[in-house]
Amino acid sequence: MLAAIARRVGRRLVSSVPALFGVVVITFVLMRVLPGDPAVFFASGPSAGQAEIEALRHKMGLDQPLPVQLLHYLGDIATGDLGRSLTTGQKVTQDIGRKLPASLELTFTALAIALSLSVPLGVLAALRPGSPVDHAVRMLCTLGVCVPTFVSGLLLIYAFYYLLGWAPDPTARIDIFASTPPEITGFYLVDFALARDWEGWSAAARQLLLPAFTMALFVLAPLARMTRASMLAVMGSDFIRAARSLGLPGYRIVVAYALRNALLPVLTITGIVFSTMLGANVLVEKVFSWPGVASYALDALLASDYAPVQAFVLLMAFIFVVVNVAIDVLYGIIDPRVSVE
Amino acid sequence: MNISRRTVLMGTAGSAFLVGHAGSADAQTRAETLRYVTGNTINSLDTTTPGATRESFGLSMNVYDRLFSFGRKKLGNNWVFDHKVIRGELASGYTTSADGLKISVHLRPDAVWHDGSPVTAEDIKWSLDRAVTANSLAPPQLSTGSLTSADQFKIIDAHTIEITLPQPDRLALSNLCVPYAIMINSKLAKSHATAADPWAQEWMKTNTAASGAYMVESYRAGESLILRRNEAWKAGVDGKLPDFRRIIIQTVPEAATRANLIEKGDADLSIDLAASDLPTMEKAAKVKVVSVPQTNGFTHITVNTQLAPFNNPKVRQAIAAALPYEDMFKAALFGRGFRLYGAEWSSTPPDSNFPQPIPIKTNLDRAKALMAEAGMASGFSTTFAFSAGQSATAEPVAALLKEALGKIGIQVEIQKKPDAEFNTMEAEKKLPFYIDGATAWLPATDYYFRLYFTRDQRWNFANWKNTDIETISAAARFETDAAKYEAECKKMIEVFADQVPLVMLWQPNHDAVMAGNIDGYTYQFYRQADFRDLKRV
Repeated sequence: MLAAIARRVGRRLVSSVPALFGVVVITFVLMRVLPGDPAVFFASGPSAGQAEIEALRHKMGLDQPLPVQLLHYLGDIATGDLGRSLTTGQKVTQDIGRKLPASLELTFTALAIALSLSVPLGVLAALRPGSPVDHAVRMLCTLGVCVPTFVSGLLLIYAFYYLLGWAPDPTARIDIFASTPPEITGFYLVDFALARDWEGWSAAARQLLLPAFTMALFVLAPLARMTRASMLAVMGSDFIRAARSLGLPGYRIVVAYALRNALLPVLTITGIVFSTMLGANVLVEKVFSWPGVASYALDALLASDYAPVQAFVLLMAFIFVVVNVAIDVLYGIIDPRVSVE
Repeated sequence: MNISRRTVLMGTAGSAFLVGHAGSADAQTRAETLRYVTGNTINSLDTTTPGATRESFGLSMNVYDRLFSFGRKKLGNNWVFDHKVIRGELASGYTTSADGLKISVHLRPDAVWHDGSPVTAEDIKWSLDRAVTANSLAPPQLSTGSLTSADQFKIIDAHTIEITLPQPDRLALSNLCVPYAIMINSKLAKSHATAADPWAQEWMKTNTAASGAYMVESYRAGESLILRRNEAWKAGVDGKLPDFRRIIIQTVPEAATRANLIEKGDADLSIDLAASDLPTMEKAAKVKVVSVPQTNGFTHITVNTQLAPFNNPKVRQAIAAALPYEDMFKAALFGRGFRLYGAEWSSTPPDSNFPQPIPIKTNLDRAKALMAEAGMASGFSTTFAFSAGQSATAEPVAALLKEALGKIGIQVEIQKKPDAEFNTMEAEKKLPFYIDGATAWLPATDYYFRLYFTRDQRWNFANWKNTDIETISAAARFETDAAKYEAECKKMIEVFADQVPLVMLWQPNHDAVMAGNIDGYTYQFYRQADFRDLKRV
């Protein structure tokens, strides 16, 4: 079975190379088709005239024909150089290396919160369809989806930071007056744990809670609804009826037999939800001043700063591929039938 | 240093608390620390880097010294910079030759760089050479003060530099006060220079070689930057050290969050809150709002004077007479600013300052008559553009403009454009009719006219070509006779008011919101906080 999984992973990775190449080329062309000249934007000092704009265009290589620029860019990517951001003044690889762990930490935490809430809620709703519990879950999900994340984020900040004072100030990953953990993985929770600094760990965790909860609220609906629908289908199937008639205890039927079978579609949707969260959590990052990749890419886009945007899209495409492969592997573990070629 | 959240929150609860517990080391540190939150980022520690943000300019004023610095004066209850007073910063003073062509700059003998080594005349010469030679934003700025070549700077002795000017330029000294004119520890910088980068521009983006009031303690690009006071700093007014020992500059993108932080007392200063929040904050009186008109700026409605029908001055005058200024001022700025319309003078302005209120007023009958005189009684259609980044103020203006111009037969289609696209089209002179704002670092009248109303370059917003203005502004630049200079400036303002290449609207207020116990905030020409002026009382 392991060999089969490895073979499938390998095949998936190889077949994704043309897709990634396509993404690189399309983003490259798209960025340059968009109106707005980065040279004008960046030469906007009080005295910068036409000569400065031209000089900057030359320095950025923007005065060359598009295919030549593309070839240079592809060559740079092949050597692992993603260019330099004009907005931060740093190498893009360096920027992303620092910001990606922040985004991933937030997304993983949010996903964990969302799953730990939505799966039980979905199961509960499925066990008693049409009951007040079911309706309450439906209402919660609808609310979560309807309220945009920046609204729920600002509301949570207003309530828990401004009014109640329970949450730390919503700026960045750790209180500005506290010291940051040693840079090991870039995940603050992991780094603090490795350094055995538990006070720092709990400070970082509290800082993380509000943004993660905001994000979790938004993805609660697809996960809970999918769990409910898939549970309903499984609960109505023959093998559950057989288990019931054999007099097996109720929790065993629900958790061991029904839930395991119902999880496959939930897993699929989790993969999709994860990828969208990572790219679309820009609003949450902005509201909570979270130094993540999404807000980094948005700033770059607004400034017509090509390199970071291209790198961001490439990164997201790559993560999407990896997540899909991971989901595939998990499929094989949850449902051995999938591994049969 | 490790401070727990609780201590910090307790420490920030208010100054009364701080006074009561001054013995506690943590609280003491918080009182001596200024936390400044901003929506923007610092992208370079070297201001002259192309693309350096305005936040980078502000930082550089606190970290680097210049040879000279502008003074400040009271405007109402507030402090604003005063470009007519120039004091020595790294220089102790200067003397000018009788013909105005030679300036001897005397250096402070006791000045040291952040690494403790003495400031030498060689360092200053290297810094000045870099400012006029290196491929950066500095040379075009310094050229406005006739500083264009390294040959102009000569070392006379260990503490004197002589600057030679081709003409007596009134802006030569002013240009040595601007953010680009940084003085650099040349030994340190040169040790990081390469053959391809002789001016160490790459290294200086992320490192400093300075002598200023503050030293950079830590820098996380795009997130935060921490400054520590330079205890050896002598270049302040009367040699005084700034009040705050530590400055935390933090990027907080959401304006609402910045407002929350200030109101809670967790942050001390922000200068870019949403304009709509300010009246409520002023009323609640939990925080201090310092509101000063941007004395060196203007918001304007501009037409491309080279395109028909706007090439006809009558059409421009008609537009100027049709706009509902007072309604625009209230709708866009809630009245928070200084009006540049509705002056009472005719033909000759009362003084030579610029921008100053221009005698344009809403008068629909006059507007209609002017349209008829221009042969446009039946009107025309056009587009009116503004950038998305300015939509909070530009959108109400655009709506009122569309309605008002409709009354004199001009059909306007409003276009809201992304900032990058708007800026590109504006620089390429492809916008027929739009609203934008501008600020000039050196608010001398002849500089204003040269920068904004002459030549085929980016900042000539109206694409205006007027031979009178070109001749007079060129003459005024090197005019040494004060009375003649004033007459020339007045003449240019007169031509401007008559020809209306663009409609001056107002100077919006610069709003700094700070904790109630912060004092001394000064509006600076580069529109950033100067931490050296601030103190906690």
